[in-house]
Amino acid sequence: MKRIIFYITAFLLLFPIGLLLYKSQVLQLALVPQKVDDVWNFHLTVKSRDGEAQSSFPLPRAGLGMRISDEKIKSNDAKVFLDTNDDSLMATWSNKENTKNRLTYTAKVDLKTINIKQIPRDNTQSYPKEFDRYLKVPELLADDEASIKNLESAILEGTEDKTSAIRKIYYYVEEEIQRNTEVKTIHGTLTTGKGSPLIKARLFNIMAKRREVPSRIVVMIRLPEKRNSEASKIRFTFANEVYLNNRWVPIDTNRGFFGKRPDSFMVVHRNYEEIEKLISKNKVSYSIQVERALINKYNKKDFKKEVLRSDSFFSRFNLYRLPLPLQAMFTTILLIPVGTLVLALARNIIGIPTFGIFTPILLTLFFKETSFGFGMLFFLTVVAIGIGERYVLDKFHLLAVPRLSIILILVIMLMIVYSFSSADLSFVSQKHLAFFPIVIVTTNIERLSIMIAEEGIVNTLKTLLGTLVIASLGYSLYSISALEMFMFSNPELLLTIMGLLILIGKYKGYRLSELIRFQDLVRQKKKFEGLK
Amino acid sequence: MIFSELKELGILGINNRVGRYILRHNKRANYPLVDNKVLTAERARAWGIATPENYYIIENYGTLKNLGAKLEKLDSFVIKPAKGSQGNGIIVIKEVIREGEKIFFRRSNDKIMDIDEIKHHLSGILSGLYSLSGQSDIAIIQAKIDKHPIFDQYSFGGIPDIRVIVFMGFPVMSMVRLPTKASDGRANLHQGAIGAGLDLSTGHTNNAVIRNQVITHHPDTGHELSGLKLPFWREILELSARCYDMVGLGYLGADIVLTPDQGPIILELNARPGLGIQIANLAGLVPRLEKIQSLGDQDLMAKERAHFSMTHF
Repeated sequence: MKRIIFYITAFLLLFPIGLLLYKSQVLQLALVPQKVDDVWNFHLTVKSRDGEAQSSFPLPRAGLGMRISDEKIKSNDAKVFLDTNDDSLMATWSNKENTKNRLTYTAKVDLKTINIKQIPRDNTQSYPKEFDRYLKVPELLADDEASIKNLESAILEGTEDKTSAIRKIYYYVEEEIQRNTEVKTIHGTLTTGKGSPLIKARLFNIMAKRREVPSRIVVMIRLPEKRNSEASKIRFTFANEVYLNNRWVPIDTNRGFFGKRPDSFMVVHRNYEEIEKLISKNKVSYSIQVERALINKYNKKDFKKEVLRSDSFFSRFNLYRLPLPLQAMFTTILLIPVGTLVLALARNIIGIPTFGIFTPILLTLFFKETSFGFGMLFFLTVVAIGIGERYVLDKFHLLAVPRLSIILILVIMLMIVYSFSSADLSFVSQKHLAFFPIVIVTTNIERLSIMIAEEGIVNTLKTLLGTLVIASLGYSLYSISALEMFMFSNPELLLTIMGLLILIGKYKGYRLSELIRFQDLVRQKKKFEGLK
Repeated sequence: MIFSELKELGILGINNRVGRYILRHNKRANYPLVDNKVLTAERARAWGIATPENYYIIENYGTLKNLGAKLEKLDSFVIKPAKGSQGNGIIVIKEVIREGEKIFFRRSNDKIMDIDEIKHHLSGILSGLYSLSGQSDIAIIQAKIDKHPIFDQYSFGGIPDIRVIVFMGFPVMSMVRLPTKASDGRANLHQGAIGAGLDLSTGHTNNAVIRNQVITHHPDTGHELSGLKLPFWREILELSARCYDMVGLGYLGADIVLTPDQGPIILELNARPGLGIQIANLAGLVPRLEKIQSLGDQDLMAKERAHFSMTHF
């Protein structure tokens, strides 16, 4: 018999671990979906300067490495025209006289790092017509042109293909020119070896164009690194993009990225030359705020695709195939066994007393459905009402079922009062709230008050406290979203939990609480033996 | 290891009690014989084992109607839930007072109840307020047992009882539970009654505790607790040993009361007896249980088993 239990337990513990290893090592699957937390709330406010009849301002537009949702544009009175071109979205609005017109734009922006590792040699001879604007070299001052020519003969001599040329230009601009916001001309930059970020971007842009590589300056913002940090004013900053091998390659000579744009940069417009005048300070004033969106979601969609693609047993048997409401349900339900594990540990190994066996878990679910604070408050109020009313009703000598039913009605009334007194109960899921207090009432209140009468208030409070402690522990499990996803993605872990429960169930040692219970016995016995 | 001291003393913990003794030696099918006091009483009668007389069994609310007429004939009685535990729901009426048409009931703590309050309590029992599982229950109206004079100085209010842990039919440990003011006259350790360990060979008290704290004197009577020696000691152990044959539970607690006229009688049996008895005796159960286990199948009579315990523990 013992041997069978041993084998069953070993199987339950090891089989799911084997499955996890198989999934991660053989099928190369991730065990949990990727976390999506680089979603930003983007706010832009643009004010027109006095006397401007019409204003335009660029707005971000989805593109490579950037997705935009929940866009909202607001302006007071003025009608906003949106003009979409390849580079950006342009908002244009006309200003009424004597009013300061303001445009606000908000959106959720999801950024991904762009990283192009291989850029083959490029010998493209001609480009479609719409690339003309990226190829046209701006007119240069004589000084500037001369110093550029000098540089070209120094670094680009004998370079055949465009990719190599761009790489050489990048290395020069990135390494040889120090950041210095004072130096504002190309000539000055090339003679002093210092330049502002914009100048560096311009120099790179011009040199690329002169080698007939389509090129543009992108206008972007740098996102604050720290969460909730009171970031300094966000201003536009500049980088480059060049068209190599039929795609736009991001390049940043100021921060040293070639073929890469980290997800900490957000592009607002892709052709600086077009908007150079629009964003200048004498036309408009703008302010930008960004903050990390407080969502901690997992990319279930991609994970599901990945699992389905694996074409294994798991592509047929996994919870991601279920309809969404069922998925949501199982996400919650699959943590209950983890809760029972905590409960079993607390009761059988530590020896914490609880009301009923599963009351703490019911409470945990109630906290989960509402919120911890509200759940706790509501539960304690219900308990207080239950006890109070039982003492009052005790004098009426009512039969048990009608009396319990009256307490139940009082709880319903309490729920109504709560609904009225609290302005916003929307965080309470309507479906579940209604049933929970009834369960608590019918199973616990009466026993609670009897326990007070029979075993005294101290023991009752201990038990109540034990129940709440375990319920809180259970609730804290739910706040670990990784655990939730882990159980949902790998439900075979239920077997492991069963195995652990068998281990706890077979535990015949002392409970921690028994150390306290029998401490007097130990002390007395020692004293006794000392006397002998 | 933090538990080594407990282990050295051979203290039985809850998990061990359940896993090694109760689950292995107590068949679930036999539980109703001890959990339901009506069944216990029936079985005891068949075995010729003395129990308190059951005057009335109240099985449904309908019988509550003419309850007054029934109770009027009694001088004293005890109300008990058939499936209660730890003394919950028990009311002891020591005097029935007749005032013209009306009757009142004086409880052991001298509080007065009227017939409506009695009925209310009974209906609470019927609806399962005090039952082990919370399911509906039946109520017993039972003869009140008088206190044996030997306990006069050792008990406050109620009737002391003697708990004997019986393992495979052998008494292994025993204590007498003495009511106090704090326990409201009940012989219940949880409520603050005294637990006094008993020497199995002689029936002498060897140590006493209230709520796990060692004491030497009764807190209410002030009497020294060490001088008590129970009469009918051999009979008490034999009676408890017979309970094993009667209900077939390998690990049980027999609650025995000493009546002034009948000697020891069985009050009730318990399939999950508590572990506080070890504190009352300042001794662990494990060595004794293991000793019994090491005997193997002996097929001894209750008398022989009781004798074994008296000579070995």
